[in-house]
Amino acid sequence: MLKIKDLHASVEGKEILKGLSLEVKPGEIHAIMGPNGSGKSTLASVLAGNEDFEVTSGSVDFLGDDLLELGPDERSHKGVFLAFQYPVEIPGVSNINFLKAAINERREALGEEPITAKEFLQRVKEKASLVELDNKLTNRSVNEGFSGGEKKRNEIFQMAMLEPKLAILDETDSGLDIDALRIVANGVNQLRSEDRSFVVVTHYQRLLDHIVPDFVHVLYDGKIVKTGGKDLALELEEKGYDWIKREASAVTA
Amino acid sequence: MDLAKEMTKEQAVLDSLKSSYNHAVADSFGSTSSKSLVNLESLELPTTKVEYWKYTRTGQIANKDWKFGDLDSVDLPENLPVAKHRMVFVNGHFDSKRSTLPEVEGLSILPFSKSKVEDSIALSEEDIFRAWNTAMPQDGYVISLAKKKVIEDPLQMVFLYSGKNTIAQPRSFIEIAENSELKISEFHIHTTGSLAFANAHSEVIVGDNAHLKVDIVQHGSEKGFHLHEIFGEQGKNCTYTQNTFTLSGNWTRNNTTFRLTDEHSECNLYGFYIPNLKEHIDNHTIIDHEKPNCVSNELYRGVLLDKSTGVFNGKVFVRQDAQKTNAFQSNGNIVVSDTATMNSKPELEIYADDVKCSHGSTTGQLDDEAVFYLMARGLSKESARKLLINAFAEDVLEKLVNEELREIIEDTIHTKLA
Repeated sequence: MLKIKDLHASVEGKEILKGLSLEVKPGEIHAIMGPNGSGKSTLASVLAGNEDFEVTSGSVDFLGDDLLELGPDERSHKGVFLAFQYPVEIPGVSNINFLKAAINERREALGEEPITAKEFLQRVKEKASLVELDNKLTNRSVNEGFSGGEKKRNEIFQMAMLEPKLAILDETDSGLDIDALRIVANGVNQLRSEDRSFVVVTHYQRLLDHIVPDFVHVLYDGKIVKTGGKDLALELEEKGYDWIKREASAVTA
Repeated sequence: MDLAKEMTKEQAVLDSLKSSYNHAVADSFGSTSSKSLVNLESLELPTTKVEYWKYTRTGQIANKDWKFGDLDSVDLPENLPVAKHRMVFVNGHFDSKRSTLPEVEGLSILPFSKSKVEDSIALSEEDIFRAWNTAMPQDGYVISLAKKKVIEDPLQMVFLYSGKNTIAQPRSFIEIAENSELKISEFHIHTTGSLAFANAHSEVIVGDNAHLKVDIVQHGSEKGFHLHEIFGEQGKNCTYTQNTFTLSGNWTRNNTTFRLTDEHSECNLYGFYIPNLKEHIDNHTIIDHEKPNCVSNELYRGVLLDKSTGVFNGKVFVRQDAQKTNAFQSNGNIVVSDTATMNSKPELEIYADDVKCSHGSTTGQLDDEAVFYLMARGLSKESARKLLINAFAEDVLEKLVNEELREIIEDTIHTKLA
């Protein structure tokens, strides 16, 4: 589904990703872990098409398309979804109206008929309950005045509404208490399917108790330096990142 | 030498106006007009050295050979809402054929030249534009509404401007008496390709406990000039609300001045503007709180595209006597292009000590993060921009008195953003 090869990316002239490769097959969950500043969020942003990041070399193939050639909206139409680490507050733009517009623009791009009002409302009702998102919140301005937990739940709600093929969760667990974390993880788990993959970017192992990954990758200094199963996350939780850093340095040296 | 040259410029404009003036001044207004003519002997066009005109140049107005125009056959805009009461003016001439004025008891609507207006509440010796208009006024509307009359349907006032080097000086006057209520939808439209200078002046008197709500839609041309001054006085317990939408125009200057002369009244001035290309839009407002317990609200929002320039200057006076004043003023701008400019200056002058006043001005670019967020959900860049700008405009649009105008305004916003 997703093939990243030797990806280099920089922001404001500073190289952050330094040759990252990763392959994600349909239905798999990959966790990306790593110390602060290792490039986790950069990877998420680059995959979603944030223009602040410049890809200097490498390739990203998504279901046969060169992802890097596509704008953020086109990536979304193809089935890529990014749950933001810091969801943006947009006063005056209603959550519901913008989601409807988003769904219909995608449908138009795919040559499909617009969603009917009935179908849309039904989907809103169904998906909002998935993350226990209050009806009032779905109707409010996008993220405006939402608590941290509500914002993250809104991200998962939007993900559920858009039914992506590849969902990238950028530190969705950060700032969440255990109840909110459980709700968010539960929402994600219910969306798991054979043809939907997840890339879960996280600093802490805690989230992976609830969203169990098939693979855990450790990102350090812009590269994946170690890959393992879910047990690797536990090991990292216990031992910290220092041994990874030492190992990585030893390899480079 | 320079000074002498400037003087001849103003004299040249005045001579040209005098020689082409083809309007009858109402007898009642005769002496006021004559006084203005005398004042014009010494009035000069303001330069940018004058604070009130710091960011708006008048030089191009002085350079043209303006002549009064005729009642040309200019089409009404297609999207004009249906209206029970409609007055149409073309180049300052009342177009009776296309006006509909059914009789309503207590409501008098006349063209200015047929009215009994005697004097002006705005002083003509202070301002050359006002003096030009007062010296050689043309037809605008004169509306008076009797006590306790409530008119539900908005009166529609359509001003059309056309021709080349055409000056039009409509003069309007509204007085609504105690406990009455009135709504007005006003359109000022310069035909495409025309080069007209509209020097429109209106005066408004809102009686005790009365409520007047006005929407103004301005559509200038790519070459024309549009100046609109509204001078008002409010009595006790009354409300005046004005929404000004400047949708286009090469050069637009709006001066709105309101005096709150008695207690417990409210003055609401709202505006939205979206200039593109090299358009210039300048909103100047003055609200004068002379008496206690009054409220004023101002919200002006602008979206500046291309090489356009915008100006906002809002002045609020709170006089010594005006305790318990509540004055709120805000000007927000989105500067979409790197080459657009906005000059915003909110001003407060407070001489009372028990008041609540706030003013603020923000000018920024479209939020890139928000655009990316929306695009990441599948919206195109254009849709994302439109959605954000609509949301920004909505805070003013929601003040519309006549919801039927919404489509006209939104259409322009969308066309300009495409």
